Amino acid sequence: MSAVEPETRAHGSAPVHGMSLACRDVGFSYQEAQTPIAALREVSFELAAGRSLALLGASGSGKSTLLQVVRGLDLPETGEVLLDGAVAGAAGYDGLQKQVGLVFQTPELQLFASSAREDVAFGPSRLGWSEDEVAAAVDEALDLVDLPPDRFGERHPYALSGGEQRRLALAGVLAMRPRLLLLDEPFVSLDPATRRELARILARLRAAGVTLVLATHDVDLAWALCDELLLLDHGRVAAGGAWDLGDAGRDLLAASRLREPFLVELWRRLGRDPREAPRTYAEAAEALA
Amino acid sequence: MTAPDSSTSPAAGGAPEAGGGALEAAGRPAPLIEVRGLRYRYPGAGTEALAGLHLVVSAGEFVAVVGANGSGKSTLARLLGGLEKPASAARAVACGHDLLDDEGRMAARRDVGVLFQNPENQLVAECVEDDVAFGLENLGWTPQAMRVRVDAMLARFGLAELRRREPHLLSGGQKQRAALAGVLAIPRRVLVLDEPTAMLDPAGRAEVLQAALELRAEGLAIVYVTQEMDEVVAADRAIALEAGAVVYEGGVPGLFRDGSLVRRLGLGLPAAGELALELAARGWSISPLPLTTGDLLAALGEKR
Repeated sequence: MSAVEPETRAHGSAPVHGMSLACRDVGFSYQEAQTPIAALREVSFELAAGRSLALLGASGSGKSTLLQVVRGLDLPETGEVLLDGAVAGAAGYDGLQKQVGLVFQTPELQLFASSAREDVAFGPSRLGWSEDEVAAAVDEALDLVDLPPDRFGERHPYALSGGEQRRLALAGVLAMRPRLLLLDEPFVSLDPATRRELARILARLRAAGVTLVLATHDVDLAWALCDELLLLDHGRVAAGGAWDLGDAGRDLLAASRLREPFLVELWRRLGRDPREAPRTYAEAAEALA
Repeated sequence: MTAPDSSTSPAAGGAPEAGGGALEAAGRPAPLIEVRGLRYRYPGAGTEALAGLHLVVSAGEFVAVVGANGSGKSTLARLLGGLEKPASAARAVACGHDLLDDEGRMAARRDVGVLFQNPENQLVAECVEDDVAFGLENLGWTPQAMRVRVDAMLARFGLAELRRREPHLLSGGQKQRAALAGVLAIPRRVLVLDEPTAMLDPAGRAEVLQAALELRAEGLAIVYVTQEMDEVVAADRAIALEAGAVVYEGGVPGLFRDGSLVRRLGLGLPAAGELALELAARGWSISPLPLTTGDLLAALGEKR
């Protein structure tokens, strides 16, 4: 997978005032045949506004559940989720929750309208905005995901390619102008070119200031896109904060059925400090050439 | 842009290629998969999903199938497994069964196993061992023979301790191993894997790829559909699809060559190759293009 080149200025998008996120001792369990199964246990972390977080962990470690809880689709059984420092029940919390966008795994399965524009308009039209505001947000979102509204606005979602459908579904979330964007395995089932394109879009959102949480098995893209990591192991935080890819960090990733990013492994095997490994192939080539 | 060692060109359409005769003359084992000019169109679709595809795979061969989303990879997997009827083909044979014929397809379903991307759709029973036994039960195996076979499959895929577990309580990698055990419980000659690692964590990916390589060593023909360029490196050969036709067939290094063909097809290079291209753009070209971290390190070592 290609690394993502940095973009200093967001393309076609105004700067966004990102939202800060914190979890304090968040616990959640599912009922499975009358037996509660703990999905999240005492999960605590902080993510400053405008930062990007790689949410890593083996299948079943609790990544999707954590995204649902942060989005407010599931209520934590213990602990609390803080948005811009506010806890649930505080004045303005509902409004903040509406500024959290969640892109589900394979979101294109939920496309339903008969035109791209109509599909993207569904979310913002329920936020009480004026028609003009909704139309402007839809056009902006379509531009952000590289589906220019003049070319794609009236297309039927099912007539789009798989990669275009994935980006259209993302536009449906971006049209609500999230200040915190949560993505659940956004790269699954995409071909490499489409993954690169989606990664460029996410890099753009990050550059615009949106706070990002990216749940993924793709450690190379996580390394390219994310400032920090949160590693979950059976619902508990195994590691959090800045990437620490010394030997201990590598062992932690391996214990969670992950591997270290390619560029980190390369730096280690070249005898360089893996903690100073570059984030992109271009940076790596500069350092090596 | 067709690679020099390609034996198949997109322009060939349904016409049989010279390569087929050569194969048989060379005294190699008879191919287990042989399709020529294979065509398929989904009901109501404007364009063909497969537009005159050729593929020949012999026992003990591991062939990677790559192509962008929508290029026809999954359709090919379903047709090879006898799960859909081809619209037409000059020849479409799997393990000696004619895929154009209804009875042939039913017979092909026994000899050709297909593992899909999402194991959730393949696990149907209430516990792992029942799932692994499911296919055998349908074929009328005796309970005793079935038990022996299921035990062997559970042991082989590290599922013995999970035999009574409900499939939905397994991790993604365990589910895919259980699905694979179920596919292989019926003795197969060909295994078709359709993006089998897409939903898995890196360790799960390595496990599934390793299992496919072991099955090749045991003499199965492996057709491995993937979007993971690092996995392609493990294959004996690769074919690349575009708009339902083969635009490259040949060795893996030839597929990746200088990166131009895979770029044009919406694919990419293994990570080591991507970095090597960045180095080449800075006047430090490495030939042949490294495809693994080990190759890249060796090349970097020589340059110093």
